[in-house]
Amino acid sequence: MKALLKQKEFSVLAIVIIICVILSFVSPVFLTVGNWMDILEGNTVIGILAIGMTLIIITSDIDVSVAALTTAVAVSIGFMFQYLPDSWFSVVLIFLIAPLIGMLLGAFNGILVSKIQIPAIVVTLGTLNIFSGLVLYFTNGNYINSTQFPQSFMAFSNIEILGIPILIYLFALVAVSTWFILKYTLIGRSVLAIGGNAQSSTRVGINFKKVKMFVFTYMGFLGGVAAIAQTSYTTAVDPNGLMGLELTVIAAVVLGGANIHGGRGSIPGTLLGVLLLAIMQNGMILARIDTFWQNVVTGAIIVIAVSYDEINHRRNQAKLANIDVKEAS
Amino acid sequence: MSDYILEMEHISKTFPGVKALDNVELKVKQGEVHALIGENGAGKSTLIKVLAGVHEADEGGRYLFEGIDADIHRPLDATLKGISIIYQDLSLFPNLSVAENIYIGRDSNKKPWTKINWKSMKELAGKALDELEMDIDLNKRVELLSIAQQQMIEIARALAFDSKLIVMDEPTSSLSSGEVEKLYRVIDKLKERGISVIFISHKLKELFRVSDRFTVLRDGQFVGSYDVEEIDEQQLIKRMVGREVVYENNTQKAAVGEKVFEVKNFSKEGNFKDINLSLYEGEILAVTGLVGSGRTELAQSIFGVNKADEGTLWLNGKDLKINSSEDAVKQGIAYVPEARQTQGLVLEQSIVNNMTLPVIDALRNKLKLIDRKVEKELTEQYIKSLDVRPSMPDLAADKLSGGNQQKVVIGKWLSAQPKLLIIDEPTNGIDIGAKTEIHKLLRRMVKEGIGVIMISSELPEVLSVSDRILVMSRGRIAGELNTLEADQEKVMNLALDTEEPEDKRQPEGAESTVHQEV
Ligand SMILES: Nc1ncnc2c1ncn2[C@@H]1O[C@H](COP(=O)(O)OP(=O)(O)OP(=O)(O)O)[C@@H](O)[C@H]1O
Ligand SMILES: [Mg+2]
Repeated sequence: MKALLKQKEFSVLAIVIIICVILSFVSPVFLTVGNWMDILEGNTVIGILAIGMTLIIITSDIDVSVAALTTAVAVSIGFMFQYLPDSWFSVVLIFLIAPLIGMLLGAFNGILVSKIQIPAIVVTLGTLNIFSGLVLYFTNGNYINSTQFPQSFMAFSNIEILGIPILIYLFALVAVSTWFILKYTLIGRSVLAIGGNAQSSTRVGINFKKVKMFVFTYMGFLGGVAAIAQTSYTTAVDPNGLMGLELTVIAAVVLGGANIHGGRGSIPGTLLGVLLLAIMQNGMILARIDTFWQNVVTGAIIVIAVSYDEINHRRNQAKLANIDVKEAS
Repeated sequence: MSDYILEMEHISKTFPGVKALDNVELKVKQGEVHALIGENGAGKSTLIKVLAGVHEADEGGRYLFEGIDADIHRPLDATLKGISIIYQDLSLFPNLSVAENIYIGRDSNKKPWTKINWKSMKELAGKALDELEMDIDLNKRVELLSIAQQQMIEIARALAFDSKLIVMDEPTSSLSSGEVEKLYRVIDKLKERGISVIFISHKLKELFRVSDRFTVLRDGQFVGSYDVEEIDEQQLIKRMVGREVVYENNTQKAAVGEKVFEVKNFSKEGNFKDINLSLYEGEILAVTGLVGSGRTELAQSIFGVNKADEGTLWLNGKDLKINSSEDAVKQGIAYVPEARQTQGLVLEQSIVNNMTLPVIDALRNKLKLIDRKVEKELTEQYIKSLDVRPSMPDLAADKLSGGNQQKVVIGKWLSAQPKLLIIDEPTNGIDIGAKTEIHKLLRRMVKEGIGVIMISSELPEVLSVSDRILVMSRGRIAGELNTLEADQEKVMNLALDTEEPEDKRQPEGAESTVHQEV
């Protein structure tokens, strides 16, 4: 089992390494510590969202509202900052409130998907529009910039421990705890189980609706965390800044080996997927390739990776069918 | 307290348009093995699903467990009361490990954030597998296991649960006879411990071996319950089917024509050696032998699933080159495997769409569209000849009972109009009434010029259907019998052929190598 799973993650890892080698020849800057800090910090938001999306995709659902949800929370943070005093207390408060708002929005998705049983793609397309509509209504599309932020938050965003920016720690914390949830808690196993076989899961007493509710709420929670990361990274709130990001997020998860049909996916895989997209982006910037070509190349990689995965998946299934025949005795 | 652990009375269940259960009764005593029997679609699985809380019965039933109102409305309720079910269509998680699959459900009532203890999970799973004398890597993903192994995982799960009542819905239909023996030993052990077992199967012989009591259902209705001492096989069949079904040995000599198919010097290391066989027009050739004698392996090599090391094939005047099952299909060879349950059925699609899958290209009209009318006619023909119930071509396959799903799979292979049909255990999982229908169908195919090789371990079936019998033993053909002159004893003598084979490798061992390859 592990051999196969690893194999898949290894192949992503191998591609990452190959690209790294190429890029280190193209640009001497690429392999510097500073550049890697930039890559990681700049992809914290995508990374955190991708981790939440992994759980949703494992249950064979999808959430296209993540970017809009994150923006909505970020805008709420921006508004709150106008009333918050300049003290560490404000930072703590934001860390409590932002994930909470995110959870509420995510739970809204979750209720529609699990209780009313509308397909997740329909639900989240709807909430995507609701969230971004509300954001535009409240902001008129205008930036909220850092002049209105408490100094304590600005100080927070500049923290470095052992030369590593605070956001990278946040990213790591999210990754490790979600990995732990998937591997070592009942709810995590239930997520994998309903992705593997929904009918079986109800037969062994897993509450299908609760698990669906959980993955969407958890996605919202991480959307709230990502909103803090985004606000801290850009030290501003841009109502249009994350538009379309959900596609990159989904791409990263799928590149990392999760299967749209459900049941398969892991946190290490997703991290590799995020890393792969990130270094490609970074490499093309370093190589001064035009933005639109960057998009074309990224898109092409996603299509190739996903088709490769799908073909592989089918081939494996065909093989298994043969084995069944073989062992029918 | 009564001595019944389970009492179900006046149980009815209506699906849209179908009354699957009508006033049914099932009473199981503490510590007994209770067989639940009936034809395909009689309602056995449905009754079990009511028992398990998967389906809610219609109003008016009485359901007691351990003497008190069971109050079971969802599967978890049943689990918590100590009821374990092994479903006919299995309920495993392909993406999870063996250990997780065995353990899962044990803690479904705990808080979601409960920590999983991998160590104790593996210990418990390992213990359950030991009890079944199974040696499977606990970390292996279940999707990589064979159907038979998956079946054993389900059984291990029930054992691991410390259940009071274990229900097994056709657990033996995809097990080899060695594994079936293991299962019986486990059932005996369960009985000693006072655990009650409900056992569903179409193999009446094995039921007489394990059961204390029978409950018979017919068309969703309760026929009766009988102690094993007060009834015999023929009487049971009569109660199941509503008429007598007798196997009559084939007494008609087939009009044998030209040679249609030939296997020359076929060998495969560890599986079979020096196989020569010919099939003539108009005859059904039966290949029989004990499990592990190489019958299935031979068929699969002919079909190209695992290539033979040596030997050639010849069909209708041509030498064949077969490297894969696709090649075989292209040459007009069809192989219906023994484990059909989970294979090749698109469950949410209709019977029509499933049956005509292999011939879909041939069914196109001038506009290159699928001719729905022809398609439907073809399906209706197979529904009739295979006695698929209910006979509604547009019904989704997942609404059919397990046995009827199997009939659809058989129909699917038959509709491919092969030149040569190899059918492995044609009536596995199929009730005794429909069996004779399938036998008739095979006869008809032979008349239409299709070559039929039937692999079967059921001697009555072999003797009543075939014209010629090849008996295999230890990977070789031990002898050939003309059915008219054969009887069970003669066949068994050949099958048990006690001479030492040259190559000492046991076919059992060969089988386990295949398992390990996975
Ligand atoms: N979900 C469903 N919806 C509609 N009809 C159903 C459904 N499940 C079962 N049936 C019907 O109920 C009847 C009883 O089916 P059931 O599966 O209980 O049969 P069974 O006795 O287990 O047969 P088998 O030996 O073939 O497994 C059949 O006519 C079947 O088509
Ligand atoms: Mg059934």
